[in-house]
Amino acid sequence: MAIRWPLLVRRTHKWLALVVGVQALLWALTGMYMVAVHIDIIHGDHLVRSPVDKPFDLSQLAQPSRVVEAAPGASEIRLQRYFGAPVWRAETPDGPVLFEGATAQPLAKPTEAQVRALARQIYTGDGQIVSVKLLTDAPQEMQARKPPYWQIEFEGWNRPTLYLSPATGELISRRHALWRVFDFAWMLHIMDYDERTDVNNLLLRIATWTGFAMALVGAWLLIWSFPRRKRKKA
Amino acid sequence: MKRIRLTPLFFRRIHKWVGLILGLQFLLWALSGSVMALLDKDKVGGHGGGMSHAHPLPAGDYAALAKLPNGEPIHGLVLRDLGARPVYEVHSPKGVQLVDATSGEQIRVDQNMAREIASMMNEAPIRSVSVLSKPNLEARDFTGPMWRVDFADDENSSAYVSLDTARFLIMRGDTWRTWDFFWMLHNMDYVNRKSFNHPLIIFVAFGTLWLSGTGFYLLFKSFSRADFRWLRRRRKPVVVTRAA
Repeated sequence: MAIRWPLLVRRTHKWLALVVGVQALLWALTGMYMVAVHIDIIHGDHLVRSPVDKPFDLSQLAQPSRVVEAAPGASEIRLQRYFGAPVWRAETPDGPVLFEGATAQPLAKPTEAQVRALARQIYTGDGQIVSVKLLTDAPQEMQARKPPYWQIEFEGWNRPTLYLSPATGELISRRHALWRVFDFAWMLHIMDYDERTDVNNLLLRIATWTGFAMALVGAWLLIWSFPRRKRKKA
Repeated sequence: MKRIRLTPLFFRRIHKWVGLILGLQFLLWALSGSVMALLDKDKVGGHGGGMSHAHPLPAGDYAALAKLPNGEPIHGLVLRDLGARPVYEVHSPKGVQLVDATSGEQIRVDQNMAREIASMMNEAPIRSVSVLSKPNLEARDFTGPMWRVDFADDENSSAYVSLDTARFLIMRGDTWRTWDFFWMLHNMDYVNRKSFNHPLIIFVAFGTLWLSGTGFYLLFKSFSRADFRWLRRRRKPVVVTRAA
């Protein structure tokens, strides 16, 4: 018996589609979201002010050798600002520590009130702070970043949330509703429902190649989908 | 004018016309997605930047702040370790200067230093070193002039080292290069390979949404009970017990 190609190809297309149809629709939907909302908005660049870029007066500062002495094991010492005043930030094996700029004396960790003030300084919006928490367990949205950190949530439809370092008060990360939706879309897109990071998982590999086969067979079907001549009336 | 009737035939027409026009990109998306899922993400690397070996800064005397280049306002200052010798990174509106933190002398990031820094990240022999005044496609996530250090290893790795700060920037290998080609097909940014938020991709994604939406709908119209007869025949005993 001769193979009826159009029938066979159509059958293959629809059975493959039955297998990956839901996922193909999810790929299209999540892909649409990811391309439509600009990645800078997703990253929340508009939520935070960049640090003030003013020159430092070096003559007023303690010598870096004194900071190295005060922070043994530090791999890097950096000059930055804390509430407008110059400070030395030492990257030590136990994490970052701040030292007063002029005296190289260690600075106390920011209090909750100071964290609130820093968050207000960084945040560009007008909304009030809804909650301030010192987290010791990492929420999903902080991914691989190690706690502890301050979580400062602001009011607003998109629930803007800043994460600040308990040691230095620096901004670690920012999140908002559009980011959370993106992260969920990404999870559906790469089909890693636990960690949302493994782009090599077996389920995804099977689904993508099945999707590719479905599309290829679909393209093949196009040959018979546009009849060149109208059939003569019987 | 003919009224549009929302029949399966109508959706089938949308499906085949969108498939004809945008089907090629759908196919490329499926193919590039499949290949990217196959390429081991640890070999692709590149995400999250380079891990640098952080030596502790030695205690002792450092060049005084007063000896740092003055004249330019200083917007940033970093004291760090550069292969067991401490350096100052001095940021001014003109750019970054590197100063030996012990002697106070300015440092030029020359070829030998670039080799040394790159070799900390890769033990393979170095094949060639070249200087780039601007980042190339492989180092597009960074700015400023840089050294490119090519290694003679299986991956044909290339390390990029900043010419301003002597920092190791990124390592790229053949797996990444393959990945990046398919990533370009996926994000449709054929020139810079970086943006996935441009009008072309939004347009095609919108069309593809129709392709997959109508396709999904047609699934319900394309299958009949007869298609599943083979399944029921095999499971007959189960059906009988349920009915009983």
